[in-house]
Amino acid sequence: MTEYKKPLPVVQPWSKAFWEGTKQHKLLIQECQDCRSKIFYPRQYCPDCWSSNLGWSEASGKGKVFTHTITLAGVEEKFADDLPYVLAMVDLEEGIRMMTRIVECDPEKVSIGMDVEVVYENITDEFTLPLFRPVTGK
Amino acid sequence: MSKGKLAIVGVGEVPTGRYPERSRWDIIYEVCRQAVQDAGLDKNDIEGVVTVAPQAQPRLTSEISFGKIPEELGLKGCRDVCICNAGGASTSNCLRLAEHWVNTGLAKIVLIPHVTVQSTIPLEEVTGFFATAGMDLQWEYPFGTTYNGIMAMVTQRYMYETGTTAEEMASVVVALRKWAALDPNSMFYKKALTLDQVLSSRMISSPLRARECNVLADGGGAMVVTSAELAEQITKTPVYKIGAGVRYSSACLGLRDDFFMFKSMRDAAQEAFKEAGLSVDDIDIFQIYYAYPVYQAVALEAFGVCRPGEAGKFIMDGHTSPGGKLPCSTIGDAIGRGHTGSGVSMANYIETARQLMGRAGEKQVPDCKYALATAAGGSGMNAIISIWGRDIP
Repeated sequence: MTEYKKPLPVVQPWSKAFWEGTKQHKLLIQECQDCRSKIFYPRQYCPDCWSSNLGWSEASGKGKVFTHTITLAGVEEKFADDLPYVLAMVDLEEGIRMMTRIVECDPEKVSIGMDVEVVYENITDEFTLPLFRPVTGK
Repeated sequence: MSKGKLAIVGVGEVPTGRYPERSRWDIIYEVCRQAVQDAGLDKNDIEGVVTVAPQAQPRLTSEISFGKIPEELGLKGCRDVCICNAGGASTSNCLRLAEHWVNTGLAKIVLIPHVTVQSTIPLEEVTGFFATAGMDLQWEYPFGTTYNGIMAMVTQRYMYETGTTAEEMASVVVALRKWAALDPNSMFYKKALTLDQVLSSRMISSPLRARECNVLADGGGAMVVTSAELAEQITKTPVYKIGAGVRYSSACLGLRDDFFMFKSMRDAAQEAFKEAGLSVDDIDIFQIYYAYPVYQAVALEAFGVCRPGEAGKFIMDGHTSPGGKLPCSTIGDAIGRGHTGSGVSMANYIETARQLMGRAGEKQVPDCKYALATAAGGSGMNAIISIWGRDIP
């Protein structure tokens, strides 16, 4: 495996479980055990009620593209090999909006409202990024 | 409340562009001397210096943070210094702090400088700075976000929801560059663009083309401000702050329920109008600074000038351009001025003052009485609105 030169996520103690989850190819969403709100990104205290009683539940990994952009230029050298790439915001079924990339398709075919599902990219031994691809078939 | 508590009495500015031979301290001396002399004051009349935090220039930020400007310039009457960093919203915070200082008597006259020299920073370093400043290192940056990318996603969604066309979005740039073409302090002075030139520029981050993205530049500016009472003794053309409003939205774009900042802008503007005792129809110029073309459209809709989704057509019809019925962003926002880090907002306030003083040259809007200025920091963390007048209504 060649050395990964792009930036790794800078993890906080309370977001560790999220990245442990993606390593096992699970998309975990933090959930407040008191007010039941779904929390993204993970926090130390619930942003709705400030409870510290927080847990995790696994998301379906299905969602829709809220918005996107095909990145063609103007990036740091470390991202240059990826060009062109599709940055996107995906709305998960659980009501969470995430920044991600759309992969495994022609960038020009990505559209707002498109059904997508999570796919995992193991970037190092420690980190796996949750990316998304169009739901095909059926 | 801030109505009539602060006034701009002098301004100074150097042209924006790539001037690697012009040092940061050259610019500081130049703009500060201009602003003090413009106000007709002596350097020792300055009792406070509140500086806009320069972005991507850590050594300069450190020097300014620790008090070098009054010492370097020999401001013998200076009582205190401070630096404000809120990205593109820094200048607004300098003005607010100065307002407090002049009204408590801590410092009766305050100098607010800004300087940025980016042309001497290696490209990779400055690209890296803007790829991470205001971006989340865990939830955004690992995916390859850039400012252009973030704003492209806002633009994409705005066009989808409103049906605004690529031509209408490109016409925002045409309008902004028309203003810049009249501005001797712009890097695009006498360089207007046609719609075709915008549309034929290469795609950077779809739907944003190269000419819809900002060009990094060097620049600097300074203002001298004081209380309304003292301003009247200092100058015949004080420019009063007569209304203000602000709303925080979010740091990460993904967490922004108010995705286009429409509500933030609307609510902040309504508060500012209420304080000023004015309505949207009283405003002669909307000095919109949100750095990317899409927000020119969103702002006009948020302020109630256009119905939602109709601003693109309004701008394409030329109404916000020079000679139009509703002049907007008479320095051409960051697109027209060049992006000087935290400095575009400084330029926007200086231009607002110049227009109200009747000294905006070829850009001068006839009989300009009231102007609204906007600002925001990061990728749109807040919407800051202020209204300025040549009198206090």
